[in-house]
Amino acid sequence: MTLPSAYTPAPERRFNAGDRVRVKPSFPPGHRRTPFYIRGKSGVIERVCGSFPNPEELAYGFSGEPKRVLYRVRFAQKDVWPDYGGSQRDRIEMEIYEHWLEAI
Amino acid sequence: MHKGPHDLGGEPAGPVDTTDHGMKFWEKQANALRSTLTSNKVLRLDELRRAAEDLGERYYQLDYFERTTSALRELLLEKGFFTPEELDAKVAEVRRRYDAA
Amino acid sequence: MTHAHPQAQDDGPVSQYEILSRAMQELLEEKGVISAEQVRRRMELFDEEFPYRGSRVIAHAWADPAFKKRLLEDGKRACAEFGIDLEADRLIAVENTPEVHNVIVCTLCSCYPRALLGMPPTWYKSENYRRRVVREPRAVLKEFGTLIPEQVSVRVHDSNADMRYVVVPMRPAGSEGWSEEELAKIITRDSLVGVAVPKA
Repeated sequence: MTLPSAYTPAPERRFNAGDRVRVKPSFPPGHRRTPFYIRGKSGVIERVCGSFPNPEELAYGFSGEPKRVLYRVRFAQKDVWPDYGGSQRDRIEMEIYEHWLEAI
Repeated sequence: MHKGPHDLGGEPAGPVDTTDHGMKFWEKQANALRSTLTSNKVLRLDELRRAAEDLGERYYQLDYFERTTSALRELLLEKGFFTPEELDAKVAEVRRRYDAA
Repeated sequence: MTHAHPQAQDDGPVSQYEILSRAMQELLEEKGVISAEQVRRRMELFDEEFPYRGSRVIAHAWADPAFKKRLLEDGKRACAEFGIDLEADRLIAVENTPEVHNVIVCTLCSCYPRALLGMPPTWYKSENYRRRVVREPRAVLKEFGTLIPEQVSVRVHDSNADMRYVVVPMRPAGSEGWSEEELAKIITRDSLVGVAVPKA
């Protein structure tokens, strides 16, 4: 019996864990799962989650194919908020789709 | 530069009400309705989210289950599961039943 | 057509949204899109099954280090191994250590590992939590009575896409030798979201 996994394969991926990336500083209308506050910020790929149908298409009744690669990206809080009041070692992590990421 | 009403991370806000106020019976049933529709693949969660985001200013005026119920209404009408007339008639019928009880 | 549906069960005046929700449900049932039994069954799962799973899984992880390792590698797979079907939830477990404290939020809506923890608390869905915990997590945790020392780094997870998260809290001193059942009792829902820590 194959047990289900949290992850799916993503052999076609551009990035791997440890790669430095920047979130596109882009602000289009429509259904996006990239929060406003992280646009334009830089971080590191924490893990590859897999490939999934694109939620930006699913939201409007389309198939979301071809699938897009999803990553967990780790950011230093001090890099996200100019006035961050916590520790320099505090982090924020979230999932970002490959088409929202640029290599740096 | 577009930002939806739902995209709240980092905005200034007051203290968090840290009490869990739980759910009313109707809210549990509304949640179960939504969950049945997505697990039966009648609707996608992504579509429900988008419908909530498209509520605009109303997003801030509604509480969580009012929001999800409004979003569900918009989406079911959009997809033609029933007409506005059918819905209005059924709402009136349900209201009569509640008033009579 | 009469319906065998209960009338308003909550105190106070009936909300127009309750009436709207019932109306939509009845129309969908009449049209054969869903059945009343399916909705009833989902309510049962949310009330009687889902809320009790999280603490059992984490208690097992505390008792069995090899299981904990598998849980941290692939939360969904480890739960399936433990006999828990998380349905669509793709679970990632994140571990608290002496160096790191984790806290979960969904700023964009209220994504939450419902099949593991049940329904999220009202504060998790609140606009103020969603606005502030990503930007000032330590201040928000303090409002819950949880103080994280400066030397421990706080890691916020914004559950914004396809994955769902659970925190694996640190096992407190004084719980040595406890059974999994006793351990599960101190693993509160709030500690699995990261706004509290378990106390022995």
